[in-house]
Amino acid sequence: MKIKRKTSRAEVPSMAMGDIAFNLLIFFVILAKAQDDSHLQWTPAEAKNLESAGNSLVSIVIDNENDVYLNGQETGQPGLAAMIEEMLGGRPAGDRTVLLKVHREVTAQTFEPVIESISEAGGELVHIVEEDKK
Amino acid sequence: MRLRRKNNLMVEPPASATGDIAFNLIVFFLVCASVQPDSGRKQTIPRAEQTENKEKKNDENIQVELKRNAVLINGDAVRIPEFSARIKVKLDAKRTQEEKIVIVKSGDDVQYAHWIAITSQIEDAGGIITLQLEEEQTVTVP
Repeated sequence: MKIKRKTSRAEVPSMAMGDIAFNLLIFFVILAKAQDDSHLQWTPAEAKNLESAGNSLVSIVIDNENDVYLNGQETGQPGLAAMIEEMLGGRPAGDRTVLLKVHREVTAQTFEPVIESISEAGGELVHIVEEDKK
Repeated sequence: MRLRRKNNLMVEPPASATGDIAFNLIVFFLVCASVQPDSGRKQTIPRAEQTENKEKKNDENIQVELKRNAVLINGDAVRIPEFSARIKVKLDAKRTQEEKIVIVKSGDDVQYAHWIAITSQIEDAGGIITLQLEEEQTVTVP
């Protein structure tokens, strides 16, 4: 006598698809957050005649504790020019924007060498500031 | 005889769709957040000058010295509200692009808010900013 083997079907429940997608999204959002600088604490200064900064590959933040961050990662001033140059690569003029976000109370001792590094790397500097409404 | 009206209709969103609704809401807010553009001021700064080589040229250019709460144009103290007008007069007298270079020297304790306010006024008046940084020198004592 031949006994038929029972076959059982294993399926991913389709009802859980939304939850799986949701969790994947959260995972990638957290991963992206590590390269983002939105978690850094800084208060922008004010200036007049602002324009849209556009897209940029490089963003530098000097936060309220005088720490320098390059694309969200803490870095020091030495070697900053080389790192910016490497990120910008051989991009043509007009596509070498570097965003600089400096806390309003940071002193020249800290921010001037950073500006110098951007200039040395051939970056096109854009100061991220707020519109002065006075 | 009185007939009872049947009212058994219950309108409920299907519970299985809540995950999808949450997913779509997150995508919507993410897109909104990433589209928000930054606004700022473009600034073209030539490399810091090697003072020894360009000492002669520096004499012809306007020098702005920034202190913590003060500004000096060619060594003369200027009140901050008057700075914009004063620098404009000086820059209007210059003709060539080279002459319009303004050398900005800042004290170590000058705050960024003060620095950006003054440098943007120089640029708005037609000046080209050059930073003068103090050079670091290592001296070995025998």
